[in-house]
Amino acid sequence: MNSWFQGARLVMGRALKENVKSRSFRIVTLIMLVISIAAVVLPQIISGGTTTYTLATVGPAPTQIQAALDAAGASGGFSVEYRSEANAELVRGMVRNGDATAGLVADTIFTTSDTPGSFPALLSQAVVTLETVQKLQLAGLSAAQVAELQAIRPPEQVVVGKTESAGRSIIGVVVGIVLYLALTFAGNAIATAVATEKSTRISEVLIAILRPSQILVGTVVAVGLVTLSQLLVLVTPLAVAIGVTDMIDLPQVAASDLALAVMWFGLGFALYAFVFAAAAALVDKITEVSSAVLPVTFVLLAGYLVAITVVWSDPSSVASVIASIFPFSAPMAMPIRWASGEVPIYQLLLAVTLTAATALALVALASAIYGRALLITGRRVKIREVVRS
Amino acid sequence: MSSRSEFDHRSGCLIYSPRRTGCRQADSARQYSPDMGLEIVDVTQTYGQRVALDSLCAVVPPGVLTGLVGPNGAGKTTLLRVVLGVLSPDAGSILTDGRPVTAQDRRHWGYMPQERGLYAGMPVGEQVIYFGRLHGLSHAVAEQRAHALLEELDLDDRWADRTDKLSGGMQQRLQMATALVHDPDVVILDEPFNGLDPVAVANLSDILRQRAKSGCVVLFSSHQLDLVQDLCEVITMIDHGRTVLEGNVAQLRASSGLRQLRLHIVGASSTWAEQLHGVSVVSEEADEIRLAIAPGVDPLAVLDSARLAGQVTDFGLDLPTLSQLFLAAAGGSGHDEGALA
Repeated sequence: MNSWFQGARLVMGRALKENVKSRSFRIVTLIMLVISIAAVVLPQIISGGTTTYTLATVGPAPTQIQAALDAAGASGGFSVEYRSEANAELVRGMVRNGDATAGLVADTIFTTSDTPGSFPALLSQAVVTLETVQKLQLAGLSAAQVAELQAIRPPEQVVVGKTESAGRSIIGVVVGIVLYLALTFAGNAIATAVATEKSTRISEVLIAILRPSQILVGTVVAVGLVTLSQLLVLVTPLAVAIGVTDMIDLPQVAASDLALAVMWFGLGFALYAFVFAAAAALVDKITEVSSAVLPVTFVLLAGYLVAITVVWSDPSSVASVIASIFPFSAPMAMPIRWASGEVPIYQLLLAVTLTAATALALVALASAIYGRALLITGRRVKIREVVRS
Repeated sequence: MSSRSEFDHRSGCLIYSPRRTGCRQADSARQYSPDMGLEIVDVTQTYGQRVALDSLCAVVPPGVLTGLVGPNGAGKTTLLRVVLGVLSPDAGSILTDGRPVTAQDRRHWGYMPQERGLYAGMPVGEQVIYFGRLHGLSHAVAEQRAHALLEELDLDDRWADRTDKLSGGMQQRLQMATALVHDPDVVILDEPFNGLDPVAVANLSDILRQRAKSGCVVLFSSHQLDLVQDLCEVITMIDHGRTVLEGNVAQLRASSGLRQLRLHIVGASSTWAEQLHGVSVVSEEADEIRLAIAPGVDPLAVLDSARLAGQVTDFGLDLPTLSQLFLAAAGGSGHDEGALA
């Protein structure tokens, strides 16, 4: 081989081709695409269309009430139809049969248990306002004074959450879940690729031509690119929907959170992929892969659980800060914490640096384990054998 | 027998060096020949407490097929891995042209592992091109060589087929193609004939012989000693990680103390033979007598003596099999002939 890179590139090219041509790649990518499009389109379909309420009254509804309800409808995304009936019994019957959302007869509002709570409240508020205005005018207040009284607004209600933005922090949790799933998926794909090459003795031929690090990096990068492309298929429609259009009601910053999530996937992948590969090199038969990678999966799972419990419930706690900086949990914990908007930039940089440095150290360790373990066949290799030798 | 190896340039082989305890000193005195191929010098490899190779020495000359033989567990695969540079030995070195083999040298070598190392889902042609490219060939050159080689191996019509659609014998030939595509200077094969029928063995050995004739160093391991006896010009026989016998197969057999002269002699007892130096009577039945001939004793001289003693109506020289030579060289400890056949 002319250079280290050329050898690794050839290994990567072959593994990439094999992965992309595989049926599982096509199926998983298709599922990702469907999930992503569904995540963008479904909420629109579910919430799509304007809600129409029907108000039945004896005779035409008073114009002031119509005006008040129509104004509320314009800002609240609903419209109101008005039905004029001959008497109170007919109004009551319409509401009972579901032909009207509510009925207004003198100072009584008819509703059913199915009537949406907001419409009767709006209706009674409109009735009370109308009567109050009439009484104020009767009491001798001028139109300007009445308008002034009507302009009084209750104090603004702000829901105080544990994070800066509840919507954005949900993005963080989703990112954490997706990263955990992507790392588990990619890690197992790498482990299977390594164990297949070992069990078919291909690795024995490769190792006579290439250095272990070339085979390892080539395989890992190929599976990483495949998983990343699937992740992008999942993320891109969402990011476009959030960043470019107003289709999804999430803060603009969520798009940059998603971009950061892709970077964290890269780091988390670099950290875990080589460990998965080294663990898989210890097996003799392909059926032993899942038990061989179990300790790695366990560490990954522990990092994920800490991220979605400790970090999600209180992103500012000491435990959360540690979990978001500790390399093995940072790829899942930091995106969640970051989305809470409570992370100083130096902590993000520290977490990135530590994770990258640990990943580099693990590449060297995993290459050594991989190179030695590949040559021991006929039995499961103990980690102590290859680390000691 | 000398305790150090001697290279015979006429026969192109290293003559016998049984139970050496180390060859470094011997090699320092040896005049190395540039066409010597590969030289394995004092290689020791241990796995924990277990010694897999114990100061092992051998020479693999170019131009002939060299068999690395020995029973299962003798250290053959470990030795091949050390030669290939996959394992770094605890001690010793591998030389070519009198200097240590480098990683650059090994990139021009070809290797075929004991079990098939092929990508099951990859098309045949693509597989050969891929291994050619790993050895540094450009895509165009690799493709051209792949076509030529697959045609030679009668696999060209399967170019686009998936590898797992081929029969076992075809996959073995394909494996051979991946080891030869870059036209290697040295070809190393681990048990290449395992599980093959006699026709496939003949085909593969023909291809290897052709490569050897073109000056290539061809070393293959096998535990089937009698198969190797028919295929190889030169052998290195190892047991418990040590070389117990090496050299030209015909010479080893012909110069062995296990040769027997079979004579059908009329009208003579065995007393004439008992008087000869280096000759002992193995059996005597009716008119047939079997004589063991010690190394260095000329069987024709014994035949002349027999003809003086009586009328020789039939005779033949039975050379020992490699299995018999192995058992004699290894001291017979823990081995039986059946296990080596």
